[in-house]
Formats: sequence, structure tokens, C-alpha cells
Amino acid sequence: MTETASVTDSAGAGATNGAVTEQPPAVRARGLRKVFGKTVAVDGIDLDVPAGAVLGMLGPNGSGKTTLVRLLLGLSRPTAGHAELLGEAIPERSAHALPRVGALVEGPGFHPFLSGRENLRRCAAAEPLLATAAIPDAVDTALHRIDLVGAADRAYRGYSLGMKQRLGLAAVLLLPRDLVVLDEPTNGLDPAGTRDVRRIIGELHAAGTTVLVCSHLLAEVEATCTHVAVLQAGSVVAAGELQPLLEADGPALVVSTPRPADAVAALRSAGADAHIESADVVVDLRTLPAPEVVAALVSAGVPVHEARRRRTGLEDVFTRLTEAGPRTEARR
Amino acid sequence: MTATTVTTPSATPARTAAPLGRLLRSELRLVLRRPRTLVIFGLFALLPVVMAIGIAIAGARSGGPNGGLIASVVGNGLVLPVAALGLALTLLLLPLGVSMTAADALAGEAAHGTMRGLLLAPVSRLRLVGVKAVGVLAVALLAVAVISLVGALAGTIIVGNSAGDGGLLTLSGTAVGAGEAIGRVALAAGWTVVQLGAVGAVALAVSSLTDHPLVVLAVLLGGAIMFGVLSAIPALDWLQPYLLITGWPAIADVLRDPVPLDALADTSLKAVCYVAIGLGIALTRMGTRDA
Repeated sequence: MTETASVTDSAGAGATNGAVTEQPPAVRARGLRKVFGKTVAVDGIDLDVPAGAVLGMLGPNGSGKTTLVRLLLGLSRPTAGHAELLGEAIPERSAHALPRVGALVEGPGFHPFLSGRENLRRCAAAEPLLATAAIPDAVDTALHRIDLVGAADRAYRGYSLGMKQRLGLAAVLLLPRDLVVLDEPTNGLDPAGTRDVRRIIGELHAAGTTVLVCSHLLAEVEATCTHVAVLQAGSVVAAGELQPLLEADGPALVVSTPRPADAVAALRSAGADAHIESADVVVDLRTLPAPEVVAALVSAGVPVHEARRRRTGLEDVFTRLTEAGPRTEARR
Repeated sequence: MTATTVTTPSATPARTAAPLGRLLRSELRLVLRRPRTLVIFGLFALLPVVMAIGIAIAGARSGGPNGGLIASVVGNGLVLPVAALGLALTLLLLPLGVSMTAADALAGEAAHGTMRGLLLAPVSRLRLVGVKAVGVLAVALLAVAVISLVGALAGTIIVGNSAGDGGLLTLSGTAVGAGEAIGRVALAAGWTVVQLGAVGAVALAVSSLTDHPLVVLAVLLGGAIMFGVLSAIPALDWLQPYLLITGWPAIADVLRDPVPLDALADTSLKAVCYVAIGLGIALTRMGTRDA
């Protein structure tokens, strides 16, 4: 059994298996492939992002996240396969999809000698769905939303990395969008900035906007996303709703004890599935409920320092998915 | 309060492109606010003034009828704008200004990451090249206008006018009236804009091929110098009709009486061919370029 298959099973009705709603997916990729010389950057990717979802795209550096996003937006042409945004083929019908799409790709790009506000006006001038008379207000509103009003009239040249990133977000927020694509939106942001990005993603989600956010900050994705897709060496190794992925391991209790071997022996005789993981004992709670685990340990005279419910973080899932497969087999 | 108004997609077919006039205004504002554009415009304004002062100082000693274009400015102020245009063109100052704008237009936008923003707005790639070409042409027009106007002013005020009636003395030795003199300056200016259009189109083509604005300047200035070298080799005489810059001394023809139009027309036609080739390359390349 391959890694991909096992993950898709556990993900259940994940993004790859189609959205529940009848709306077309906001993003659809079929067999998308991009080759630079001899390097395969994106290797036959199939991906659906259901309308209204917040999909976190994870992957180590060089796994093809940015290349995939650039293909999806029509910034570069695929070697094979095709992509759709909001039901429109890319790049053939880009002009019909892109006005409703906001994107921050590969960092913010602005003219250094213009102020933040002037840069935004220039972006706004190119937006098909923004009426000319509405531009000044749209720019002001966007500056307020990302809290950059104070620096709006300074030259972009003098902006800090975080301020540049905020201005990039402001350009995305110039008008209501159906799809927002954010590539590493928290790059260079301070903790307050990171919270702002989280808040903005939340607001977009609440407004029904589909969000595709690339990140290598797992906590970020876990906090804001409804779906995840994990890229590894140009392929999607997992895609689906976040919650089932997190619970794929099942509930477990982590017991720290000075005598782990005795603890495992006691628990196994009590009928629990237990094993040692980095000096702690991990008990599968599906085989024995938590109170009975503790009772079994106490009655066997094993000292217990601490027993806590294990929350499988996205980090564990990610590590499991992006490293080689033997652990998946071992776990079964 | 929602300040943003969006055309409702259901009522009318949604716009797929921003109004062209708005894009052009935005582009012109960008080009004309760029500090380096303003610096080079300052240089263009300075050139005729410096020439006028130099000629006024030296003129008293070395004025002669057969000293070429610059010598003919002595006591003949309205020749100054033509001489300044010719000098700025053949010494590559004007081509430098135009190439700089073209370098920033595509290669510079790519280097700053601003081209992504434009393409994602979306601005179609055809439109992008068109808007950028207008920006480059605007700089060429304004640069020529600055040199011509400052040249005419500096010529009249600093050099003075011995022709008397506000006209000029042609290189053929005849005097023409003020109206015709202005017409001849305008002819020189128009011809120069066409030549700069050719330079700009070739520069845009190079600009579409690279992410580095400096490469555009290097290729254009290096290319111009190369043309000069090639045109100096007698064995390569057959190349002459195809080279752009070897025809540039034709600007002095506007000061002859009557004006011999064949060289001016010839160089203009050549320039139009260069424009077609340059824009063709830029469009083809932008159509397939990864941004």
C-alpha cells in the first residue's frame, strides 16, 4: 500500500474526492506538470480546492508549492496538464477568472520610488472590476484593513519587510474576491502581523472567499485552514480536510514514567495497545479508556509522573507524510 | 461602510480588463515620476543651454560658414534646437533616455515583481506591451520637446539672431522667415521622435528578453557603438542601408534650402521597419514569457 493511498483513505471525504456542494471547485488541477530543463518541479498534480474552503498548502522548501501556484494563476505555462480557476480554463480564459482572484505570489512587488498609497493606486488602476471613481476609497479601505495607514505616504523603498508584506496583502484586499491565493503571507511579519494575517484569512473565509495559502509554518496552517494539501518533491502526497487528517492516528494517552518497559508490560496485560516513544509510553485509547490505563499502571505499581492526552499536531502528520513511508507500515 | 463598488457580474457581463485610458494614465504617471526620468530630462534641458553658452563665448572668435552644424549656430539662434537634437541623438544621449525607460518598462517590472501584479490584475500581455510602448514613446516625445523648446529659447536669448526677422540662415546660405524656421525645427523634432521610436522598440524587445534592466542599456548602447564600428569598415559598406544610426546625420538636411527629403524619408522608413521588428519580438516574447 502506497503512502498516498493510505492517507487518502484516512482523509475520508477529502478535497481530492470532490466537494460536498455542487459548486465547481474554486481551483482544479489535472495532471499539472512543469519541467525546467531536467528538473521536474511539479509532477502531474491533481488538486481540487472546494469553493469556500481555506486550503493550506504545505511542503518543504523546493517541493513545488510556488511553481504550482504560478501554474494555477497562469503566470507560467504547464509542460502538461491543465488548470481551472473559478471554473475558467487557465491560461486560455484567465481574463474571465483573474479579475475575481487576488494573489500575493513570491513576495510583494512594488515600485520603490512610489509611496505605498501610490503603489496601491497603480494596482487598483489595473483591476477590471474596480470602478474608477471607487479607487481612492478602495485604497483607503485596504490600507486600514492591513493597518498601514501611518506609512501609506512614505516611499516603498523605506518599508520594512513586514510593511512590504502588508502592502502586498492590501493589494489583494482592494476589492471583494472569490478566490485569494497567498504564498507565504506571514514572511517577515512580526507576531502582530501574523495575527493580522490569520484574522484576514478568517474574515475572507467568513465572507465566502476561497483561500489557498502556501506556508511552511505548520501552526499557521493548523490555526486557519479547513483543508490541507501536502506537497513533496512536486507531488501531492496528501490532500483533504484538516480534521480527519489530524485524527488519523486515533486518540492516544502519553504517559511519562521512569519505568516505561514495566508500564508497557502492565498495559499490554490489561489489553491495551501500548508502545514506547522517545522515553514516554503511548497508549491507544481505542483499546483501553484513559481512567483504566491509569488504574492499570497504579495497580501494577508503576510510578506515573504525568499522563496527558496526545493531540496529533499537524507537525506530526506533516513529518509522517514528508518522510519516507516505513512508519506508516509499522503502525498498522 | 463599504467603500468599494464592484460591477455586479450578474447584471452585465463582468469586465475582463481595466479601462485602457486609466491604464495609460497610470503608466504615464509612473514613467514621469520615476526619478531617473526626471534627471535625464534635466540633462536634456541643460544640453542646449550649455551649447548656447559655449557658442556665445567661442562664437566671437571662431564663427565661420563651413564649420558644420554647430558652427552654423553662431548668430543663428534657431539652428540651435536642430544642432542640439542632432548632437543628443548621435552622441546617444537621447537613445540612452529612451532605452532606460524601455529597460524599466518590462525588464524592470519583472525585476521588481510588479509585472506579476499587472498580469494577475489581469492586464493582457498584448495590452501590457502596448501600454509600455506608449510610455516609452511619451518619454521620447517629451525629451525631444524639451530639447527643441529649451534649444529655441536658449538660441534666441543667448546666441541671438543675426538673420533679423526672427528666422534662420540655412546651411545653403539662404535666409528663411520665422514661420518656416519653426517648421524646420518641428520637422527635425518629428524625425528625431521617429528615430527614437525605433530605438525604443528595439529596447523593448531586449527588455522583454531579460529580467535585468542594465542588460537592456548594455545591449542598446553596445549595439549602437558596434553599428558605428561596422559602418567604419569599407568592406562592410553593403550593411549601411540596414543600420539605423548611420543615417542620423541626415538631421542636418532640414537646414538646407530646399530641404532634400530623400535621406530623411529613407531613415524614417528604416526606423518604421525597426519599430515593427522590435514590437514584433517584444509581443512574441511576452506572449510566452513566464512572469
